[in-house]
Amino acid sequence: MEKSNRLNAKDLINVGIYTAICAVLCCAVAMTGVIPIMMVLLVVFVPILTGIPYMLFLTKVKKFGMILILNVLMGALMWVTGMSYYALVVGTISGLIAEFIYRGGKYKSKWCGIMAYAISGIYCWANYFGIFFNADAYFATRQNFGQEYIDAVTGLLPVWMCPVLLVVDIVCGIIGGWIGTKILKKHFEKAGIA
Amino acid sequence: MEYSLDRNIHSLLDPRTKLLLLFTSSVFVIGTAGEAWMKVFYWMLVFLPVLLLFLEKEWGFGLISIAIYVGSYLAQFALQHNLNAVESVLALMLFIITKILPTVILARYIVKTTKVSEFLTAMNRMHVTDKLTIPISVIFRFFPTVVEESKAINDAMRMRGIEMGAKKATEAIEYRMVPLIASCSIIGEELSAAAMTRGLDVGKKRSCIWKIRFRFPDLIVILLCLACFIWWGVGRFFI
Repeated sequence: MEKSNRLNAKDLINVGIYTAICAVLCCAVAMTGVIPIMMVLLVVFVPILTGIPYMLFLTKVKKFGMILILNVLMGALMWVTGMSYYALVVGTISGLIAEFIYRGGKYKSKWCGIMAYAISGIYCWANYFGIFFNADAYFATRQNFGQEYIDAVTGLLPVWMCPVLLVVDIVCGIIGGWIGTKILKKHFEKAGIA
Repeated sequence: MEYSLDRNIHSLLDPRTKLLLLFTSSVFVIGTAGEAWMKVFYWMLVFLPVLLLFLEKEWGFGLISIAIYVGSYLAQFALQHNLNAVESVLALMLFIITKILPTVILARYIVKTTKVSEFLTAMNRMHVTDKLTIPISVIFRFFPTVVEESKAINDAMRMRGIEMGAKKATEAIEYRMVPLIASCSIIGEELSAAAMTRGLDVGKKRSCIWKIRFRFPDLIVILLCLACFIWWGVGRFFI
């Protein structure tokens, strides 16, 4: 039964659980985005914090498709909660790439896992597309934040920051994944969960 | 074999209608597509969720959410020009509340009134694959659990004197995250065992005891949603 490559209900339920945990963490962190500088630093904190549940999730992934489904769902949640659909598009593509990376490591290599996490986490970066490429429309709906907030955010995010943020996101993904594996080793393997 | 219940229609709206309404609401209320052009529909979408809650006799929650909404909406007018830093953070929060609250209420209504089996059957009829519907239903089952667990863990940690913003931020985060994830994953194991017992994994077509079909209230809501999109399309592409 374990040999079969089709996803069964247990796998799908695992995907659901870890998506929920990641989404709650993302939400909790994203609330701090009301302070302009935190808006930019989200790209640092979200990958580092969601690294822990994600690495535990990866220990349960043994079949093709689970990372992809998680990413599609995260993207869809981002869309529904008011970011734009960029996260869904980018998340789907990056999820597919991550899937292949992790499969390249036979679903157990530690560093392949960390890389897969770093790549799949770039949906977080995709949420900034609205500010970069469509700034007028983005702030038109946020006029009543006060001009100061708008100036602060646009001042922090000129267009050349876009590739920089991508690099930052991936690096923080690697850091987060690495912390995640550390914590897995420290806590979950002992407890028999991982 | 047909089973019958006293009341085999579980809620007023069909799950598919609810999802369409959620989608419309997230595009037009949170996404604010169309702006001033959509004014009338915007307000309809804002008040429809509360109306639905009242129809389900959730008076308390409905009234509280109306109070919060009206309060933060009015407070926004007070905070509009020449803001300092604190005020603009406050205005931003109020803004987010007025944006998100209607959809949150709608989501609560949907979670409250939709049985998981109803949802799965409705999605199955729309030929959405199990691979998406099962995780989605687990997510909705799980959100309240995660929040509840994190509250409990937060209390326990505060009792031990490990607070957010203490000297060791990493410690504060680690001691919260690890128990949270551990307990969630254990709950998850139980959940999958329960799902197995109910034959989620058999691979045959599932039956559902609730009757799922479109009825008159669905028609009204669907027409409202379609009208939103058509009116938006007209404003966007023809004017």
